[in-house]
Amino acid sequence: MWKKLSAVLLAGSLTLGLAACSEGDSAEADKTSNYPERNITIVAPSGAGGGWDLTARAIAKTMNDTKLIEKPITVENKPGGGGAVYMADFATKEAKNDYALMVKSPPILINNNKAEGNSPFGYKDTRPLAQLTRDYGAIVVREDSEFKTLKDVLEAIKADPKKVTLAGGSAPGSMDHLVGVLPAFEYGIDPQSVKYVSYDGGGEAVAALLGNNADVIATDASTIAEYVKAGDVRVLAVSSTERLDGELKDVPTFQEEGIDAEFTIWRGIFAPKEMSDEAFDYWSIKLAEMAETEEWQAELERNGWQSEYHNAEEFTSYLEEQEQVIVELLTALGMEK
Amino acid sequence: MDTLQFLADGFSVAFQWHNLLFAFVGVLIGTAVGVLPGIGPMSGVALLIPVTATMTSGLPTEAAAASSIILLAGVYYGAMYGGSTTSILLNTPGESSSVVTTLDGYQMAKQGRAGAALSIAAIGSFAAGIISLLGLVLLAEPLSNVALKFGPAEYFSLMLLGLAAVSGLAGKSMTKALMMTVFGLMLGTVGIDAVSGIARFTYDMPILYSGFEFLTIAVGLFALGEVFKTILERDGADGAIAKIHRILPTKQDMKDSSVPIVRSSLLGFFIGVLPGAGATLASFFSYITEKRFSKHPEKFGKGAIEGVAGPESANNAASGGAMIPLLTLGIPGSGTTAILMGALIMYNIQPGPLLFDDHPEVAWGLIASMFIGNLMLLALNMPLVRVFAKVIQTPKKYLLPIIVAISFFGVYAVQYTTFDLYLLLAFGVFGYLLTKNDFPVAPLVLALVLGPMIENNMRRALTISNGDFSIFVTKPLSLVFLIAATAWLLIPLILKMRGKSVIVNEEE
Repeated sequence: MWKKLSAVLLAGSLTLGLAACSEGDSAEADKTSNYPERNITIVAPSGAGGGWDLTARAIAKTMNDTKLIEKPITVENKPGGGGAVYMADFATKEAKNDYALMVKSPPILINNNKAEGNSPFGYKDTRPLAQLTRDYGAIVVREDSEFKTLKDVLEAIKADPKKVTLAGGSAPGSMDHLVGVLPAFEYGIDPQSVKYVSYDGGGEAVAALLGNNADVIATDASTIAEYVKAGDVRVLAVSSTERLDGELKDVPTFQEEGIDAEFTIWRGIFAPKEMSDEAFDYWSIKLAEMAETEEWQAELERNGWQSEYHNAEEFTSYLEEQEQVIVELLTALGMEK
Repeated sequence: MDTLQFLADGFSVAFQWHNLLFAFVGVLIGTAVGVLPGIGPMSGVALLIPVTATMTSGLPTEAAAASSIILLAGVYYGAMYGGSTTSILLNTPGESSSVVTTLDGYQMAKQGRAGAALSIAAIGSFAAGIISLLGLVLLAEPLSNVALKFGPAEYFSLMLLGLAAVSGLAGKSMTKALMMTVFGLMLGTVGIDAVSGIARFTYDMPILYSGFEFLTIAVGLFALGEVFKTILERDGADGAIAKIHRILPTKQDMKDSSVPIVRSSLLGFFIGVLPGAGATLASFFSYITEKRFSKHPEKFGKGAIEGVAGPESANNAASGGAMIPLLTLGIPGSGTTAILMGALIMYNIQPGPLLFDDHPEVAWGLIASMFIGNLMLLALNMPLVRVFAKVIQTPKKYLLPIIVAISFFGVYAVQYTTFDLYLLLAFGVFGYLLTKNDFPVAPLVLALVLGPMIENNMRRALTISNGDFSIFVTKPLSLVFLIAATAWLLIPLILKMRGKSVIVNEEE
């Protein structure tokens, strides 16, 4: 009996060990053979349900459904530090991993340039592959909130910043915070005085709003639509230059509300800095093909994202520009490195 | 009754032959995932998502989603059944939620009562599964609203109560338990801080950015610590282990366990409903509650069957409770539920307030399948007890290498880094030294789990209140928890001062 059992246990642990090896370290992967040879992981450096997570899952699903990539693509969630925790791994441990990709958005620039909670690694420690979508920030209140317009919120903060709690799904100085304080800053409020509470991901921030533990939250326009449909929350304004389609079509932009500001949440996919050229070219081609498919367009529509595909080269120069914009914004807010 | 009608529809979905098969495969894999340390429900579910996607590709979207989620959820609650096995037999926790089961489970096994411990864990898990499902069916709506009312202040006070209750895990000396608690809290501060994103005690070493992995430390302290103890103290005389008298629990065992099972199921269910609390916390809370309520607390830590029945029921009930915020609010309360949510989203089914209206087939099909799955698990686990219980009779010279191997494979499968293997070794040695000198290790592990949660929620609460500490006493729920925490610490002290003899757990 024992022999049988130990054999089973051993075999089990061996298989596991092997699975673990093939899953993880691929640093020394054989570069001559046909990429990809095994399962690929796309990491969303946040909890499930947020914008990065949804983007990663949309890519994985489209690639596999359209058979552009036959090898299964798994999505992993690695939350922490507004993305900074996994960024450190991605720039160091995974630097040569041909089988790990990461979805990121402006925080890759913000975290690298802000003073508090600085991430020593920025987009230059990765190989940008492509920009895929853009999304916008949204200022959201509970359905029964006393605030009817963005102006109401700003007036209340101006009157007494201690009375209004703003929450978001990421750390101070990161994207949700910027989206939230940007209108206040433009309205002449000291951004430092705005009371901001950070949660682990947009889902928890929504929970805080619904449970009356926050008065206002700043989040992505695309992820909030479901709650609007359910009638639990109202969106006061979005950070786009023009009105959005779909569920949020009646929501005014910051500019319509008299706030001269806009904020674009681009989302893109990054490869590790030392990804082999073979793998990098493979992904560049596949991503360009994917952006053209009907399935991808359907994914975009379903999630309420705007399509915006840029290849590696365009994306990299866009990142350079954006980095300057972010540094300017952070400087204006007194939060620069 | 609308609910009954929906539930009946759910059963008609769950009883489709392929869904029965999916549920069975799910719970079977779940049991295996639970038994093997390292591969936890989270990685188990994540690894299976692409597999289920392929298996269900022929079905219409809604039916495919229902089938996949039935399988994946089966892995999730199945793991809660299996998790106790290695805790009881090898002192090696299979999941973080089974860490506390080692305390009495392993002692029971040493006394030749492994069969009883394993059976009661399965029975408790089953009862808890059914109780939490009833809760899910009847209370989903009101409870999701209660969960939302839990703000940072309430979380902080609840976690503080957990920490205060650490005395329940203490060995001979309260002081030593408190020292271990503080040490655990200190370990918990290492890494990038989730509130501000600032790196603490990382010395610019990226490997430390994500902090210490809880399971590495728990397996090191418990499993390897025990291995070192056996080797160094030559306590390997094989005859020392008691013969297995019987596989099934005695009547007295059942009698002793029935109340703890029910109590812990309810406790675990309510803790599970709170997003962010989870099964690990539920099992700890259950253990310390059972010890407090017990008529003979001195038996805890020496093989009290309540110390197995309680936590094992609680962690299973918590996994049922965790379905409530996931399904009704679209807010995942734990890593595993977050992955389940991701799976649903993959099928374009958004968990949240509209789920029960938009996709009743998926929601109720899942709930109904969990009733069936729990029955399957009981039927699956009881015969296995007979097999597993024999493990304890294995000679030490074979058993110890197996424990070492399982520990290393398990930790590596979670972390993929050799750093964690060194950490595992270090904590193994450390665990031996601690146990040898009567320092209890459980408080350290609990503090490591609670520390970051306490800190983050405290800082959130203080931001909301503009730095005013009174927020913790002005919120009624928070105040209740704080009073309970104070009472927990003070009452034994007062009794002691009055000269009454207080039973503190004394180890052999």
